[in-house]
Parts: sequence; C-alpha cells; structure tokens
Amino acid sequence: MTNLTLRETTAEVIVARAQAAGEPGWLAERRRDAWTFFAQAGPPEWRRTDLSGLLPDELGPTDTTAVELMWDPALAAQGVIFKPIRQALDSHEGLLRKCLDTAVAPLTHKFSALRAALWHDGVFLFVPRNVAADTPLRVRYGLSAGERTTFPRTLVITEANSSVTLVEEFTSADQTAVALAAPISEIFAGPGSNVRFSSVQHWGANVYHLGGQQLILEHDANAEWTSIALGGKVQHIEAETTLQGNGSRVNWLGATFANHDQVLVMAPWLRHVGHSAESFMQFKTVVNDTSYSVFDGMIKIEHESAATSTRLEEHALHLSPNARNDSIPSLKIETNSVLKGGHASTSGDLDDEQLFYMQARGIPKDEARRMIVMGFFSPALDTLPIEALRTELETIIEGKI
Amino acid sequence: MSNDLIIKDLQASIGEKAILRGVNLTVRGGTIHAVMGPNGSGKSTLANIIAGHPSYTVTGGEIWYNEQNILELDAAERSKLGLFLAFQYPVAVPGVSVANFLRAALNAHRAEAGKDPKLTAIPVPAFRKLLREGMQSLEMDEGFARRYLNEGFSGGEKKRLEILQMTLLKPSMAIMDETDSGLDIDALRIVAEGVNRLAGPAMGALVITHYQRLLNYIKPGFVSVMMDGRIVREGGPELALELEEKGYDWVREELAGAA
Repeated sequence: MTNLTLRETTAEVIVARAQAAGEPGWLAERRRDAWTFFAQAGPPEWRRTDLSGLLPDELGPTDTTAVELMWDPALAAQGVIFKPIRQALDSHEGLLRKCLDTAVAPLTHKFSALRAALWHDGVFLFVPRNVAADTPLRVRYGLSAGERTTFPRTLVITEANSSVTLVEEFTSADQTAVALAAPISEIFAGPGSNVRFSSVQHWGANVYHLGGQQLILEHDANAEWTSIALGGKVQHIEAETTLQGNGSRVNWLGATFANHDQVLVMAPWLRHVGHSAESFMQFKTVVNDTSYSVFDGMIKIEHESAATSTRLEEHALHLSPNARNDSIPSLKIETNSVLKGGHASTSGDLDDEQLFYMQARGIPKDEARRMIVMGFFSPALDTLPIEALRTELETIIEGKI
Repeated sequence: MSNDLIIKDLQASIGEKAILRGVNLTVRGGTIHAVMGPNGSGKSTLANIIAGHPSYTVTGGEIWYNEQNILELDAAERSKLGLFLAFQYPVAVPGVSVANFLRAALNAHRAEAGKDPKLTAIPVPAFRKLLREGMQSLEMDEGFARRYLNEGFSGGEKKRLEILQMTLLKPSMAIMDETDSGLDIDALRIVAEGVNRLAGPAMGALVITHYQRLLNYIKPGFVSVMMDGRIVREGGPELALELEEKGYDWVREELAGAA
C-alpha cells in the first residue's frame, strides 16, 4: 500500500491507511474528504508557477516524513511541549481536532487538498500561558534518499502572554528525480503572546515546494515572521497573517534568491480584521541567471477592522539581464477606517556606483558584489535566531551570486 | 620618484563628450598640490579617472604611479597601490555596516597573492582598537561604526567617514574631490585636521576644489588651474589667493589674449 502512486491511490486506500495507523475517525474522514476533492479538482490556476515538470500522479505517497527536532529540553520543565505531531495525536487529540486545517483551508485547490489528505508527520509546539521560552526551537524537514514526496506539517499554539521562537527549515541534498514537498504551517498566537517564526526553504535541486502557511494573531499578539526562500526547482507558497485581534502586530520580512532556472513564487498576504492592528511587510528578492521570481503580496483590510496601520514593500535586485522578477503588490480595502496604508516596490540592477565606491577602497569586485547582496538581505538575515543557520545560509547565498 | 603621480596628456570622455583634453600634471610624492577650476572644467572627472571609475573612457594619455601605468589596473588594484579617492559624494550601501566595510577594506589591503586571506586578516581586537582610535581622532560617536555605510548620513558625517577610511588605509597619495562641499565650518576644521595629520612625507595629496576656502585649512605647496579639460596655469599658494581675488574669468581672458 505504501508504494502506490497517486494515480493508483483511492479514498478507500487513504481511509484504510489512517485506520491501520491507529488514527482517530475524524482524521480519517477529513483525509477522505480532502482526497476526494484532490481527485476531482483540476490543476490550480497559477499563471506564473510552471508545474509542467511535476507529474504528481506518478509520485508515490510515502508514509515517512523526515522530521528532526532540536531544542533545549529544559524548556519542557516550563511546560513547553515540542514533539512530533503524530505523538500529539495521542496526547492532544482534542486540540488537534479543533485546530488542524482551520488556519490553512484544506479544500481551496488541488494541492491544499493533497496536503490535507496525505500529511504524515510534522511538529506540534505548545507554549502555556505566561511562559517565556527563551531559547529558539528548531524543526528540520528533510527528504530521505529516493523519497519522491513529503507532506510535513507544523502546528504552533501559544497561550496568552507567552513567547516563543521557532525556526522551520526545509532542506535536502540535490535530488536526481523530481520530488514534491507540500507542507502546511499553522500558527495560533494567543492574546498578548509573542511569536518569532522563521521559515527557511533551502531544498536541494529538483524539489517542487507547494506550501500553505497561516499565522493567526489574537488581540495584542505580536509576531516577527521571517520567510527565506533559496532552494528547490519551483516554489509556490501561499502565506497569510490574519490580524484577528485588536492591537495585534506583525513585522514580516522576506528574502528570496533565485538562480539557474529556478521559479520561486511567494504570495504573502496580510489580512486585517481587528481594530488598531499594525502590520509591516518587507520582502527582498534577488534574481540571477535565467531564474524567475514572483512577489504576489496583498494587504486585505476587512470590513470589520478599524484604525489599521499597514505597509507592504518589495525590493528586487537583478544580477543578470536574463532573470525576471514580477512584483504584484495589491491593496484591498473594505472599510473607511484606515489609519495608514501604503505599498511600494522597487527594482534595479546592482549599482555601479556602490561597486566603484567599494572597489576604490581595495575591495575586489566579487567581494563587493557579495557584500552588497548580503547587505540587501540583512534585514531578514539579521532576525535569524541561530548563528550557525545564518552562516549556513550565507554560504548558500554566496554560491548563488 | 616613485611616489609621484604623473599624468601625461590625459584625454577622456563620457559617452561622446570629451571632458579631458590633454591633462599634464605631476603631483610630487609627499606634497600637497591643489587643482582649482570653475564648475565643469573637468576636475572631478580627473579625480574619478585616477581612481578608476568605469563610466569614463580614457581616449589617450597615461597615468603613472609607483612606476606603473595605472590605467591598466582596476579600481581595487589602484587602491592597493596606495591611491585613495576621498569622494565628493560618498555612496550609501544599505545593510553593510561601517565597521564591516572598513574591515573588508583593510583586509583587502593586507591580502597577499597565494596566501590564505585568513592568515593575513587583521585580528578583531587589533581592528577594534584601530577603529576606536581613528573615530576618536575625528570626534565621531562610537555608535557610528554600527550604522549602515553612508545611509542617512549628514554631509559632515559622510566626509568624516571618508577621512576615517583614509586614516585606516594609510594611502601614499590621497585625491580629495571637493572635500569641503556640504561642510559647515566645524566639520571642515575636523576634516582638515584629519588630512593634515596624515599629509607629510608618507602621504601626498591632490586637493581638488572650486573655492580657496579649503586651502586656508589644508595648505598646498603647489597650485594648478584647470579649465576646459586642461591645466592652464601652475604656481605656488599665491596663485590660489589671486584666483580668490580676481575670479576665474581673469584666467580665461588671459588665455583668450594669448591665443
């Protein structure tokens, strides 16, 4: 059963698998519904994401997910729970039933349904009321050798006035055959809690990454979200922060670097619902060689919101005339009560005057280029809470310049 | 002498437009030499070409320094040879801190072909000490080193940073491009003191300026006047005073009379 391709899989197979794994009935039903949706849905209408090289029907659903958890176990004494999500199905079934698939809707398009039908493992992070988890927690999702699909999921719940820092990482060696990674990340930030979340995509070659992410902020919750995209062959991430509660805030920074023939699409949305909520989004994109990147950013200010402050920026740097970046920032306002709202996007080549200035101090041209690109990305890189990870990513970035 | 900067019949253009039309100028090592001239005479172009700016096309002539025709070298190599351009308009580089930039520049100067750069790099404590001392001498706040290079700097801060770089890199020939522009009198004094501390047998300076004002603070031994892309007069410090008094039209009229 485990080695069936998606073409050979049926709803009955999905349900039987869930039962064999001892999963609760509600989950088996959700999987069946999601699978039925997947099987009936046409390909998603993503105009800019080229999925022609991905033949999902030929890929097999695997029932392994490479998950590595790294944290200071001393946090457990404070009541922090950080464990594989399969284990949480036993220990926290009620909470999972209540939360899973409520932030990232499962029945939106073919791949959101596929993720919900086939997710296998991932991480569950729970921070109790008033607990400040001082050291960063890290989850690393991988692809084992020969594995063609992976469907991991992250679930984070922070109770009132707690704080936590999580790094979610997607990484593998270069793959010889096309592989599909379709992860879900859901974060529920309780009232007054502080969440620092870094999501870092640096898969090896040949990986298609089709991800859904959602962060929901209750009143007075505060989030720092960093999105870094470097790896894979094609990436399509739909990410959203919902400022649900009054006085909630998010500061969302991004760094995307596409080279060779990579296609990296990022669609980060800000959705304002609560009153007096503040959001700032700044994404930086570098494109090299014949790569293509898309920033499809959106601010949506809902009818029930009031006194919103929001700003969205995207800045792109071209290292090659054959690389392309499309920036499509948009603003949808359904209320008359907006305090501040704006967006900006810029795009340009590496600045010759900057290069000359640095070279005139003896810095060789390649080193000057490296420093300018690293400086361009520094707002996002500076937020990474783990120095070794930053060093690793800088090495990857250097290799792409 | 090898530390003389020798410019022979230099011709250069930007796009189709000829800007330098045969500049002949020798700046003796260890001396201060002012080049004065009206706007548009080609002074800043000369400074940029000496430093190796890629936007200009040199159409003829030579520039010799340290027994090398430096037109064959790129900007970084010229810097390592001991030339230093203090920019009229220093460039902002967001995300690159002053400290990291200075360390990269110092290490580039210390690098040796065929040697692991880690072995030639300046140790961090030694760098910190050097930086602290340099900043103190220019009355700069300590937090300055952490700011992004020239980003949001005032005119005075930018020029002080230029002199700080000069202090750390210890060039043998500094080219000062309109260093007084955008400076109030206090900043001008601090900047000039910084230059005067370095100028001497170990460092010559080519001081490019429109006004005589700067030369009250940085006193040249020689003055050359540039006009329409050529050096048209040479003399001692008295020439600068004469220009201050009579303006550039006087030179222009004399030239027209001689032609």
